[in-house]
Amino acid sequence: MDEGKGVRPLKEGLFEVSDSSPQNVHLVGSKCRDCGCVFFPKREICFNCGKRSLEKVPLSTRGKLDTFTIVWQVPPGALVKAPYAIGRILLPEGVYVGSLLGGCDMDDLETGMDMEIGLEDLSEDEEGIGLAAFIFKPVA
Amino acid sequence: MREVCVLGVGLHKFGRFPEKSVEDMGRVAILNALDDAGIKFRDIEAAYCGRVYAGLMGAGLRVINEVGQTGIPIVNVEQACSSSSVAFRLGYYAVGAGICDMALIVGFEKMERGMLRATSPAHSYEELVGMSTPMAWYALEIRRHMEQYGTTAKQIAMVSVKSHRNGTLNPYAQYQQEMTLEQVLNSRMIADPITLYECSPTTDGASAAIICSREKAKKYTNSPIFIAGWAAGSPIYEKGKDYDELGIRLTEKLAKEAYERAGMGPEDMDVVQIHDAAASGEIQRFEALGFCNKGEGGRWVEEGRTEIGGEIPVNTDGGLLSRGHPVGATGLAQIAEVVWQLRGQAGKRQVAGKLKAGLCHNSGIGGVNITILKT
Repeated sequence: MDEGKGVRPLKEGLFEVSDSSPQNVHLVGSKCRDCGCVFFPKREICFNCGKRSLEKVPLSTRGKLDTFTIVWQVPPGALVKAPYAIGRILLPEGVYVGSLLGGCDMDDLETGMDMEIGLEDLSEDEEGIGLAAFIFKPVA
Repeated sequence: MREVCVLGVGLHKFGRFPEKSVEDMGRVAILNALDDAGIKFRDIEAAYCGRVYAGLMGAGLRVINEVGQTGIPIVNVEQACSSSSVAFRLGYYAVGAGICDMALIVGFEKMERGMLRATSPAHSYEELVGMSTPMAWYALEIRRHMEQYGTTAKQIAMVSVKSHRNGTLNPYAQYQQEMTLEQVLNSRMIADPITLYECSPTTDGASAAIICSREKAKKYTNSPIFIAGWAAGSPIYEKGKDYDELGIRLTEKLAKEAYERAGMGPEDMDVVQIHDAAASGEIQRFEALGFCNKGEGGRWVEEGRTEIGGEIPVNTDGGLLSRGHPVGATGLAQIAEVVWQLRGQAGKRQVAGKLKAGLCHNSGIGGVNITILKT
């Protein structure tokens, strides 16, 4: 990823990057002001207590790999190439995040691993600027 | 609710029928169900139609039009892979509540080859990054199960071996050929550990059922099959737990409700149909339905206890894996199989002995329907 051009997300609203630096990426979630429950992706109504008083919060950039799979057949509409790994990351807030996995040999993935967020270009816009998805990768 | 009976069931063979329309297949299934019930279409007072991909508006009206135009109200139902079991339940509500005495339920589907396109709208983030593939959801769930309980790849493959063996005994099945353990394990990997032959296929087909009040049934049969229990729901948020994408925790909850309504328990079920869109799903849902303790499902399969001759025969007609999975028609095909088994009409795959009750579990994008039938 070319840092000079900033980061363009594949879809708006899932993650934010501060200082236009891909190293400073975090997911955007919602936290209930009443019961404290945290959600990803962000939402308007609390699943736990039903209140409508959710606020936007940055989520932890690290979590544990709860489960994963290596996918060998690309489903219709996907931009990834097979094989690729996807998994569920459990963040300290108690939120599970479904994510593309990367940054390592897929054979090295193990449940319970410490993972951290990163970005990966999956496509590009009309001007040839990369469109990034968030990924989780093993903590270096 | 008054007592409701399944008076007749019928299928159009499951498979690939590029030359046939959903109207063609729906007509065959409906006529088979009408003949099985011993009634005419004009006896039907309402119809409920399950389908997903049949992209024609009001598809149910066009299918029903094949058999008659009698002015009855028709409802189109879409609830992913559980569409026709939802349609069945809506018909049950209507007859049970006394709104009508006799209802037709029909499920039909024509599907493209290849992987299911699961999310809508198209081009969602999940789709773009390759996460919207149901077989991967099964893979994510079963990895947890394998690591926690020691469930093995062999046990998962044996579900498919069993289903294919049962499919050879079912003339309506899409696949009527046996598959060895090696063939299943060595087939192409789809989403580790799920292999190609552990995935249900895409399928064309149709299914139908006639349901009626107990009073009405007396006119046609001395031995009706009753809807003894049911339960339905959608995923429940539980703080600190992952989204119940496959409805496993939901199935645990709904199974208790269905058994309570039926006044029965898992020990009373003589035959069981489980939503096995992937082979691993049968193991996890068999446990969730209370047939064994959590973590023992894989061993039950390995020990042959879910075979047609076993303690609790599961997916006697080949299940989604071999009978096929025309998403909008699957739920009613499960019900047809249990009806045939309870009547002793299941041919070469008939479970031995005097059967009293059976259960159907049909799941669709998290939603779950359970139906218990009894003699």
